[in-house]
Amino acid sequence: MGVPQEVCEKLEALSEASSVALVVNVANYFDAIRGIVELFSKRNNLNVYYVSATIPSKNIIEIFEVLEIDLSTIYFVDCISHIMMGAAQQTDKIIYVESPTMLENILLKIEYLSRKYGTSSIVLIDSLNSLAIHNNLRMLSEFFHVLVTNLRAKGSYVVIVSMKEQETEEIKGMLNLVCDEILVVE
Amino acid sequence: MDDIGRNDRCITGIEGLDNILNGGIPRGNTVLITGSCGTGKTTLSLEFLVHGALMGERSLYISVTEASKKLLKNMIPYEFFDKKLIEEKMLIFIDLPDLYEKLNLTKLEFDLEDIQILLDEIISIVRKLEVKRLVIDSITSICYRLKEEEKIREFILRLGKSLSDLGCTTLLVSELLPSAKGYSQYGVEEAIADGVILLGNLERRGDLLRTIQVVKMRGTTHSRAKYVLDLTSIGILLAPLLKGGSEETGW
Repeated sequence: MGVPQEVCEKLEALSEASSVALVVNVANYFDAIRGIVELFSKRNNLNVYYVSATIPSKNIIEIFEVLEIDLSTIYFVDCISHIMMGAAQQTDKIIYVESPTMLENILLKIEYLSRKYGTSSIVLIDSLNSLAIHNNLRMLSEFFHVLVTNLRAKGSYVVIVSMKEQETEEIKGMLNLVCDEILVVE
Repeated sequence: MDDIGRNDRCITGIEGLDNILNGGIPRGNTVLITGSCGTGKTTLSLEFLVHGALMGERSLYISVTEASKKLLKNMIPYEFFDKKLIEEKMLIFIDLPDLYEKLNLTKLEFDLEDIQILLDEIISIVRKLEVKRLVIDSITSICYRLKEEEKIREFILRLGKSLSDLGCTTLLVSELLPSAKGYSQYGVEEAIADGVILLGNLERRGDLLRTIQVVKMRGTTHSRAKYVLDLTSIGILLAPLLKGGSEETGW
């Protein structure tokens, strides 16, 4: 079984509105993402609200287009392009947050997408490690606690991507604290 | 629930704010919406009126500094705005300079008689049109013509009392300088108003966040915490301010 299928099946085995830490390595990172946006979200008719803190949304969209992934139900909260001085392409699909340090604004943009396009969704945080570069862990823990609690009440899934190679004990502790499940993709 | 929580509420329609206020502004309250430029005072006030009009409450915006035509143009992108509200006169705009001209109030400094004329006119409009929500944007510009603290106190007290008797909930927009310490320019407005909602800019490590805080609201229990707000095409959204131990400077 390939990584996309494995990720999809692991997610399907969970109860609805779960908050999940998805621990991946550099080699299977994109296949794992594919399992969420292409398989799991489509099978369950979920919108994907993709918080991109690692790679600018523009580049992710380009990769998805090459892979012929349907983008119609994928919306981006891009919090990395601005600090990289990347040109902000204004579309309905991408909402920009000025910096990954503006965690409250990430909460607000997810809230905006939920109200505009519905709460039947999966919020994908890519990635915890990138957010941890820009924020102190106390602030980040508070952010994830608010995010997960809020989305759980609305019936949305939360998937927090964490890179195995960059995991520290503090990050593991935080994931244990805020997530219902930790899924490790080998 | 105690009496203080049971008062009839004027639902602002801004979900986060209504939650902070335990259901909305107590009906008939006069509330100061205060903050420096670019903090969202006018947007919040307009949204309050539009939601009121959509709920069948006639809403009036008295603009002192900005022409209504320009304000209306800014409202069109809002998804909750319906042009019919204007056509059906559920949402009414009046430019105060036109009112001054009509009332022949041309002096730069108003005396007590001028104040009475202006008060009578505003109250008469509210009564005649059965207005349930009123915004005066900005009270600071009116206070500028009153000059003295005593006159300002008199004006706001009488205005608030009369409007409350008519069941009208009023927002008075107050402009603050970024360096201001209190909640209003003349220091009188905040003491007389039933409520104070402070909008601000919070600088944190080079990021500028818009914030909102209900400092005071008579007739209801409410949160006094600071929240972050976002002005979006579907209206104002609120999120809790994350504390995380960061040092902050704000105004």
